Amino acid sequence: MRNVLKWTCLLLLVGTPHAEGHSPPGKPTLTSCRSPEKETFTCWWQPGTDGGLPTTYALYYRKENSDAVYQCPDYVTAGENSCFFNKNDTSIWVNYNITVVATNRLGSTFSDPVDIDVVYIVQPNPPENVSLTIMQDKGWPFLRVAWQPPRKADTRSGWITLIYEIGIRMEHENEWETHVAGQQKLFNIFSLRSGGAYLVQVRCKPDHGFWSEWSSASRIRFPDYFHREKSTWIVITVFCFFIFLIVTWLLHVNSHRSVKHCLLPPVPGPKIKGFDQQLLKNGKSEAIFSALVVSDFPPRSSSNYEDLLVEYLEVYVPEEQQVILEESKELHSSCFKSESSTSDSDSGRGSCDSHTLLIDKGGQSKENEDRPVRTEDQVEAEDWEEEGSDAKEDMGGVDVPSGGRVKTWPSVFTSPSDQQISREHCLSDSMIMITEGVLGPDPSEFSLSATKPAVAQLCKPVKSRSDINISTFVHKPWSVDSDGVRPVTEDTTAFLQPFLLQERDYSKVKRVGADNTLLLQRLADVADVDDCEDQTISTGIDLKTTPVCMDSIMPGQEATSAYVDTAAIFPMPTH
Amino acid sequence: MELVEEYHLRSGQSQPAGQEQGSIMRGYFAVVTLLQLFPKVNTVPICSYGHAGCHIPTLADLFERIIQQSSRMHDISTDLHSQYEQSLVPSRNHVGTWKCHTHDILAPDNKEMVQSLGRDRLTQVVLRLLGAWGDPLSRLHQSVTRHRDQDSNHYSSKALQMSDAIQELRAGVLKMAEKMKLVGVPGSNTAAHVPPEGTPTLAYKRGAPSSVDPNDLLYCLSRDADKVKNYLRILQCSSLPGLQC
Repeated sequence: MRNVLKWTCLLLLVGTPHAEGHSPPGKPTLTSCRSPEKETFTCWWQPGTDGGLPTTYALYYRKENSDAVYQCPDYVTAGENSCFFNKNDTSIWVNYNITVVATNRLGSTFSDPVDIDVVYIVQPNPPENVSLTIMQDKGWPFLRVAWQPPRKADTRSGWITLIYEIGIRMEHENEWETHVAGQQKLFNIFSLRSGGAYLVQVRCKPDHGFWSEWSSASRIRFPDYFHREKSTWIVITVFCFFIFLIVTWLLHVNSHRSVKHCLLPPVPGPKIKGFDQQLLKNGKSEAIFSALVVSDFPPRSSSNYEDLLVEYLEVYVPEEQQVILEESKELHSSCFKSESSTSDSDSGRGSCDSHTLLIDKGGQSKENEDRPVRTEDQVEAEDWEEEGSDAKEDMGGVDVPSGGRVKTWPSVFTSPSDQQISREHCLSDSMIMITEGVLGPDPSEFSLSATKPAVAQLCKPVKSRSDINISTFVHKPWSVDSDGVRPVTEDTTAFLQPFLLQERDYSKVKRVGADNTLLLQRLADVADVDDCEDQTISTGIDLKTTPVCMDSIMPGQEATSAYVDTAAIFPMPTH
Repeated sequence: MELVEEYHLRSGQSQPAGQEQGSIMRGYFAVVTLLQLFPKVNTVPICSYGHAGCHIPTLADLFERIIQQSSRMHDISTDLHSQYEQSLVPSRNHVGTWKCHTHDILAPDNKEMVQSLGRDRLTQVVLRLLGAWGDPLSRLHQSVTRHRDQDSNHYSSKALQMSDAIQELRAGVLKMAEKMKLVGVPGSNTAAHVPPEGTPTLAYKRGAPSSVDPNDLLYCLSRDADKVKNYLRILQCSSLPGLQC
């Protein structure tokens, strides 16, 4: 019984709020107002709590510059909780102050007022009649999108100006690609994938207002212009192939250096004929030095030498050396090569034989890039250059490398007075290496020494002193002429008799003759004859530096410049 | 060729007046034609746009230009207004407490009214609107520069830009009106009365310029700029049939 009473009391209590819990309605809120064409507009509101009582809503508005309050003319057209203002009630560029009132039995609640100007709340309908067509532009297809403005918006008279935007995506993609089309009503899209399926949609917006909703998407399948793409690819491939061919050909040509030779003729530089870097890497010193020995010395062809005065010094090499030299004769191609051979790819080929050697003061040394001892050579070169330019007699400054190094230099001085005993002397294209000995102010010695003992078999140091032994890369003994130097034709050789050597100036050792003759060359046609006077003679035992300059440059006359000491040949007998 | 055009127009008008005038005109026409056939004088077109060989703009060009100008004017005005609003605490309720000083210019506020007005009157409305803003802008500029802070410099420069834009637009619209008359666009009244610039308006009759809140002023300016832009667009679309409006 008590329970029943309790329950009824509870029910009553629950029921009573229905009567007592009523309250005035909650505050409604105006959610939005929109105008589709700038001629009418609609406002929507959100009701608040109704307070448990039936609530009515009313919308009141006031226009700018007027105190009159009007009520919404149409609550129906736009649906529930809305107010529709038709053309007669709509004024553009006029501020509306709108309020919604919720009223129930207990009271009414006003919403917050909202100011609107119809111009700023225009949101048009989506564009209509979106049409997609495939068109051709010189054989390449493209897509043309065309549409109509929304029906209600009056763009023809210019009342509304709309700008459009197109969205396009492939069917399987997610993201839309948008393009702004401005005020025009058609748009061309290029570069679509052949055979692809696309979706296109359009929307619009007034000058200041809101974007419309997107129109319903239209689907289109782009045609296959596959064969065209393929032909393009074929053309591209062929083109690339040709470019590749050209590039490889160029590389090939470059590696042979013929192009390089055409464009940039190599500056002749010193070179050791027969020097093979590979052999050096292999580490076989015998092979290296044997390679340097030229087999066909003296050169048979005299084409380049006609203009040069060549006087041959014959140097005698003792028998034992001769034997050794003989043995090594077969070991290699040649120590000395004739000038005519040009198979050597080394650009510094000009070397001793060239008369320009004397002029070139040692820049050639730098051309022998593949020499292992290049740095030293360069040091040498610089030293020699300095010496050459100084034209000093002072030998002390010569930085003579101690023995045993292969120098890849033909002697490159212009002022042979130096001291350059330490230089290398050419023997045809190979050098007699002068690694030791400095020409002092007085008879100094220079020596041509082999870098390695093994080489000594073939090329022995040639010293200026009478007591020094000459070692050359020749395998034949040399001899010095009895009167020092005598002109020798190619085929003749004479033994150098050291003791009676005249004082002569020789600029270099031209080459080592085939049968042990040392050709010393006095360059009569040296370009800078100016140096004549400065050129000292380092000849024979007596190394006086008497400048004797020849006036004429005719071949056959003795040049006054000589930097090879013929006396180097002298010590032959001492072996 | 303009001479010839004018002749045609004039001749069209003057024929009912009398034969005598017609014969004089015919003679004149003959002379002009002969001159055209045997050109001995190098004629240089009188072109008010300055550059040599200048291209006399068509009505379409003129419209294009003034539409651009009005867009620009509107943009500046909205910039000004929004910036000003941001710098202030939004407080007032515009409606009922204040009126734009151009309120009494009877500017049509819906489409039917605009279309019923006719080209010429619409042009006049535009000119009046533009003319009404010269003074207030200068006053605004003065009041802003009085403060001399960073914002005021910005506002003052914008206000100057606005004044210039309005001046240019007004000149452009005048040119356009002339051209319309010339071309003979129907509805453009040759006897149009061009309102003088600086027509006194409501607010300035009432009170001191300083009483007008700049915020309100800028709001009014922005709105009037939009009106002008819209009217010009309507004029353009109705005057140029070939245009894709």
